[in-house]
Formats: sequence, structure tokens, C-alpha cells
Amino acid sequence: MTLYLYGIIDSSDQIKESLYGLEGAGVYNVSFCDIGAVVSETSQPIQNVTEVAILEHETVIEKLMANFVVLPARFQTIIDGRDNLRSIMQSCYKDFKENLARVRNRLEFGIKVIWPADKVKENIIQTLKEGRPWLAEPDCSANKKFIRGKLETYQIDEKFKKKANKFIDAMDIFFSKFAAEKKLKRLKTENLLLDAVYLVEKDKESDFRDAFEHIKSAHEGFKFLFSGPWPPYNFVILPKKNDLLKESEKKDLFDKVIQHMEPAGAREIWQ
Amino acid sequence: MNSVMVKSKDVTLLEILDRVLDKGVVISGDLVISVADVDLIYLGLKVLLSSVETMEKLRGAPFAGPMQEAN
Amino acid sequence: MAINSVVETDFPEEFVEEIEKSQDILPRKIDANPKNVEKGLAKLVLTLIELIRKLLEKQAMRRVEAGSLSDEQIENVGETLMKLESKMEELKQIFGLKDEELNLNLGPLGDLM
Repeated sequence: MTLYLYGIIDSSDQIKESLYGLEGAGVYNVSFCDIGAVVSETSQPIQNVTEVAILEHETVIEKLMANFVVLPARFQTIIDGRDNLRSIMQSCYKDFKENLARVRNRLEFGIKVIWPADKVKENIIQTLKEGRPWLAEPDCSANKKFIRGKLETYQIDEKFKKKANKFIDAMDIFFSKFAAEKKLKRLKTENLLLDAVYLVEKDKESDFRDAFEHIKSAHEGFKFLFSGPWPPYNFVILPKKNDLLKESEKKDLFDKVIQHMEPAGAREIWQ
Repeated sequence: MNSVMVKSKDVTLLEILDRVLDKGVVISGDLVISVADVDLIYLGLKVLLSSVETMEKLRGAPFAGPMQEAN
Repeated sequence: MAINSVVETDFPEEFVEEIEKSQDILPRKIDANPKNVEKGLAKLVLTLIELIRKLLEKQAMRRVEAGSLSDEQIENVGETLMKLESKMEELKQIFGLKDEELNLNLGPLGDLM
């Protein structure tokens, strides 16, 4: 019987309320020692990604969070039978326990910030013009002109990044006060100043929200996105136990790739 | 590869997708029939999702039953 | 269907646009389909070469800014960088690849750039 996995919980108890997941199947807890894997039975091993299925998956996990600590599973994790599930639980038990302890009483929140990158750049270009540019001679060689152009771009870029980090760090100080863990992505694009997730203590949620509102009001011209509370998707840390490909398979794939390159005149490309 | 077009005006759905398809507990190995390995492709204001690929497809070999366990 | 998680923003479309722009250019899986392999690998190789070229340029700029290069050295560096840049343009044309296609999203490593 194939099992669809929703997540790992910190309990071996049965789920009290009737919970339904994908394909309307009943959701139940398969216990293993003092933890459990929450699953439902599924008829097909392969399913398309649909909006409905995604929401069903997420709904189950969020309902579980009302009563348990949950490590949410990736969508469409399907396991072939109870015995295999048991093996997985056995080999991952320690990792699961550690993660459950880490995320207990904590919620994930996401914050994204768009900043007025164009304006920032304009200001920088303005200030650089006012300072004295290096290599100021009007007639210099083509090589020097090239360097000058590159230097300008470089300097603008450096100042741009510095400014970005200044803003990010200032915001992060505020948010971090209430967060146990965080993950920041800085300047994912020129406009997307920050893409961050924070693991916030449950009882500090309103402080965290207040901090966000404060930052928001202090940054006119910036655009903010706040999301959550989420199950701790971004804060589950599991060691890579199984590569998707075994060593021999990796070699096969590599050979296949090389083979296909030959007729395409790979030699010429590499000459 | 089937694709599902998702109206991206629903920012909530996008945030869910990013987590549910790319994060969370990932269990892989021979004991797992499939796990979402979906490419999230944002095209214009729509989101393109490819269908779930099984590990079989990735390995190019039929799914083998017997247990092979994690190190 | 009750989802408790809420996403609050006054600018949903702007965020979607940025998320779209920040996608990785490198595919997560290697497509071993013979028709695509050549172009895919060319893209990979050129992206890496471009990365190195940009790092070289950046390092050169640091030296120029610091004033630690002689006049003659600056001339040489300028000439070399120019040649590298034009060679890169040539390669891009040969493989029919555009700038945006070679833009490697380095994530945390981007800070090293």
C-alpha cells in the first residue's frame, strides 16, 4: 500500500480529529517510538502538481500544527508500504528528534523587501561625479578609456552593494531579536533587497510583527511582503543520506553525456 | 511533461509552492516511490509547473523493490 | 480548505516579477537528450568562463582603484580586459547565447563577486 507523507510529528498518539488529505483519504499517524509519520493512503504513485493538491497538503500540515510539533514533508513524498516507512523512521529517527526539538514552539515567517534600486543608483552616480574621478585626462588611450568605464561601473556596483548591506543589516537587527534562527538572501535581484525567513518563538510572534510594522513605516519608498506563520519548511536540517544517483549511475550518466558530445564535434569546441 | 498554469496573482499560493515543492523534509532513496522534484518556472505573470518526476525517470531504470538503506 | 498562513503585501505583482527574475539559469538536472546536450553544455561552460572573466575584471578594478598599478600596467590590463570581453562576445555569438542566459545566480556566493 502506498503512503503519502505529510510530515513527522513529535507524538505516537493517534490523531484525534478526522483529518482528510489528498484524494480525500483519511490521514493517520504511524507511530515509531515517541514520534510518528503522518500519512494517508494513495492510489497512484504519480500525480500531477495541482493547486488543489498543494492546498490539501498544506492544510493537513497546518491542522497538525495545532496539536503537534511538525516537520513538514516535501510535496508528493510517497513511500512504498509500511515496512519501508518503518525503515526510514528507523534510520532518520535521531535526525527527526533533533529537528523536532529545534522547531518546537517556533513558527516560520517570511519577509521580502523591494527597495528603490534605481534611485539608489542615481544617488551614487551623483556623488561619484562630484568626487574627482580617477584617470580624469580627457584624451587617453583606448585601453585607458576602457578601464575608466569599467572602473566607474565597479565603483557604482561596490557602493550599491554596501548600501544594500547597510539597509539589510539594520532591518535584520530588529527582526533577529525575536528569532531563534534565520536565513537571509541578499540582493537576489537588484530590486529584491532581501528575501528572508525567520524562525520565531511562538510567544514572540506579536513582537516580531510589531518590529516588521516599525521597519515598514521607517522605510518609505520600499515595498514589503510579510508571510506566515508557516510550518518550519526552511528550518528542517537533514543530512544528505541518499544521493539521487548511485556512484555507478553517475558514471553512466557522465558517459552518456560524453557520448552525445562526440558527434556534435566536441573536439572542435574544446580545441 | 505536463504543465499546470497557476495564476500568480495569488501570492499566497506562490509562497506555499516555494516551500512545499522545494523545502521541507526530503526523504529519498529506494524506499521512496516518488518525491516532488518539480521545476518552478515563473513566466511572465504565470507560474509553470512541470509534473512530478519519479526517481525512476531520473535513474533511467525501473523501480527496484528490495531495501537499500541509508548510510 | 483552511490555510492559516497569510501573505500580506501591497505589491504582489512586483514581488512576483522579482522572484521570476531571480531564477537560476543552470538547470537542476542535466538533460541528456542528445539534441539539447550541446547547447546546454556550451551554456554551462560559457557561464563559468564569464564568471571567471568578471572576477578578473573585478580584481583588476580593485588594483586600479587602490592606485597600485603603474601607467604601463594599466595600459596592459586595459588591453587584456578588452580582448577578453570581445572574445566572449564572439563565443556568445557562435553559440547563440545572450547575456541574460549566462547570468549565474550565485546565491550566497554572489557576495564574493
